[in-house]
Amino acid sequence: MIGDVIGQSLRERSPLVPVEALLGNCDGSRMPEIVADRLTQAIAQRLVQVCPTAALGLEEYEGHHCLRLSYGNCIGCGKCLEAGEGAAVVAKQFTSCGVAKEQTVRRWNIDHRIEVKTGALGPQEAQGKIHSLLQRALNVRQLDAGSCNGCEAEITALTNPYYDLERFGIHFVASPKHADMLLVTGPVTRNMAEAVKATYEAVPAPKLVVAVGACGCSGGIFAGSHAIVGAVDQVIPVDGYIPGCPPTPAMLVAGILEVLRRRIAK
Amino acid sequence: MKGNEPASFPEGESFVGPTLTIPRTKDGIPARLVTLFGSLGSHGEKRVHYIFDVGRPAYSEIVLPADGPIRSISTQAPAAAWNERELHDQYGIEILGHPDPRPLIFHENWPDGVYPMVDQMDDVVWARRDYRFLQVQGEGIAEVAVGPVHAGVIEPGHFRFSVVGDTILHLELRHFYTHKGTEKLFERRSAVDGVMLAESVSGDNCFAHSVCYCQAVEDACGTEVPPRASAVRLIGLEFERLVCHISDVGGLCTDVGFSVAAAYATRLKEFLLRASSVCCGTRYWRGVAVPGGLKFDIESAKVAELVQAIRRASIDFSEIARMIVETPSIQNRFETAGVLSKEAAQDLAVVGPVARASGIDLDVRRDHPYGGYDKCQIDVPVTSYGDVMARARIRIAEAVASAQLIQEVAKSLPDGDVFDPVASQGNIQGFSAVESPRGELCYWIQASDGRLTCCHIKSPSFQNWPAMPLAVAGNIIADFPLINKSFNLSYSGCDR
Repeated sequence: MIGDVIGQSLRERSPLVPVEALLGNCDGSRMPEIVADRLTQAIAQRLVQVCPTAALGLEEYEGHHCLRLSYGNCIGCGKCLEAGEGAAVVAKQFTSCGVAKEQTVRRWNIDHRIEVKTGALGPQEAQGKIHSLLQRALNVRQLDAGSCNGCEAEITALTNPYYDLERFGIHFVASPKHADMLLVTGPVTRNMAEAVKATYEAVPAPKLVVAVGACGCSGGIFAGSHAIVGAVDQVIPVDGYIPGCPPTPAMLVAGILEVLRRRIAK
Repeated sequence: MKGNEPASFPEGESFVGPTLTIPRTKDGIPARLVTLFGSLGSHGEKRVHYIFDVGRPAYSEIVLPADGPIRSISTQAPAAAWNERELHDQYGIEILGHPDPRPLIFHENWPDGVYPMVDQMDDVVWARRDYRFLQVQGEGIAEVAVGPVHAGVIEPGHFRFSVVGDTILHLELRHFYTHKGTEKLFERRSAVDGVMLAESVSGDNCFAHSVCYCQAVEDACGTEVPPRASAVRLIGLEFERLVCHISDVGGLCTDVGFSVAAAYATRLKEFLLRASSVCCGTRYWRGVAVPGGLKFDIESAKVAELVQAIRRASIDFSEIARMIVETPSIQNRFETAGVLSKEAAQDLAVVGPVARASGIDLDVRRDHPYGGYDKCQIDVPVTSYGDVMARARIRIAEAVASAQLIQEVAKSLPDGDVFDPVASQGNIQGFSAVESPRGELCYWIQASDGRLTCCHIKSPSFQNWPAMPLAVAGNIIADFPLINKSFNLSYSGCDR
């Protein structure tokens, strides 16, 4: 009977998603973005008001009046989509995975109705760099610092036949002592703070730390709770951030590869 | 169900604490404890709510004043043990006669005498308290400490095994590493916005949590959800159950090294999640439900596409499931491993697939119907073996039944609106129960002029965790991951 199942699965087309289709993909993540030419002062103010996690804010940036969207705070609740009269839409592409904290932020100039450009790589640029990452291995240890298990569910999906993280030479390992990278999810709770520090210490140097999900990046919906310490970077140093609530497997793959690419480019 | 008024103390008697008499069902047996929690009245007075399942259709709620000490019911209803410890940690209510009064949700770092539900929570100091694990003594007994950080992509929790050789004599759980103070965070949030928090209680069951929360608000406001919204919610809930059960059965195969079936199950799960993403823009149905109905309508054509994917996945899953239960080496590992007796399951008021695998015939969808379930035929699979195989078989049967239920409901999806705004003026209370993939999930909310003042979450994982050590005792330590997986409890759902 096992023979039948294997036989059938060999006859079917492989579900493996090519890496080109993963970079920049954020289908199902509910991450928003701003349509610059629909933006007005009044709409921007309303968007900021409805945002429950302060992902949206108004600020002066390089002398301009800007609407800031910090993806690390965004839980994809969709309130801005409802209130924005078309100025906020579901993002079709997402490139802020695995980047430094500053690059998880996008800004739109409200007066000129344009996006303020940052240095983040677009998916096409990133694709060209991916090949330099082949022929390497990376051992990843996932650490739950207090997550709701949404991020865990998506991280588990990375090993399924659609994403098959092992094709990039990336493995999940059982001990922090075997790891090159810590993938940390959740707001760090009071009860986990000590264990998070100990796990970080147990990873041999050089090490990479990636904060995953809105909670890991900023505390997310739990920010301000008496029972949490806060975002991952309040407890251990973080090299890259993968926003999302939860980030989709595509965003996780893109994020892990981007952290690796940045490390090698250093 | 609406809350009763708190009972008053008899005057002139010396205070011995309000006493609860456990209600009985029609058949005269003590009713199952559903949950037990504290709340604050409008003048800050502490109360304790006991919710019992006295039979179909309604739950029964008893409210006692708790400004002074209360008497523990854990010796009569062991299921109350964790609830009462949590009650003390949250509200500082003294529980008289509790067999295990150690702190539960707060660890060594939490200062004595600070109670989040009644005290100011600014700058809580870092303390160093003691915590004493149970000592098992005797010749040849060794202690094995595991966690909170485990070897794999799993949530954190601590397990303290006392073993003789390979055999586990006793397992002590220490949880609440992922405690995030969620119930407190509901306070002062608008009743409509609370759903965002409910979705982050247990990520893989987030739609059950969001629907249950929404129903509690709708119950409080007396709102009827439009039929189309109700039907789409039902599809979402059954979809979540299907995905969860496929994932669990695959996980069991991973734990015994049966990679073919495990890989196939992860493939089916991903196939379904991607279909869901195409259908409603979210893989786990986050941001779909809202008090009053749905946030947006899903086109019938898209629902039909999802149902088509579900039909296909369910056929494939039946095939794999047959392969799993008929493979001798799997039978060898699954059968007689981790037996939870019916008596133990009853004492601890276990719920969900775990209860049904131990011979307890319980399903909220049939016993206390909500949403559109009263119009559906719900077949509840029950088996009495109580081992890993029984729990696997229950999940397989339920997954297939969920897929069928979805196809039936989708056949006659009602037209019309999907949202009817809730009007939450004045002081209101609401309660709701949902059969989540892990079992009976309840929300109790209290709001004042549209702002939440209290929220309690009864999570099936909180209820079922204390039963797991009983199933583990007598097994070898190498079987623990398998037994644990067969319970498939959420740490975050338990810890909140």
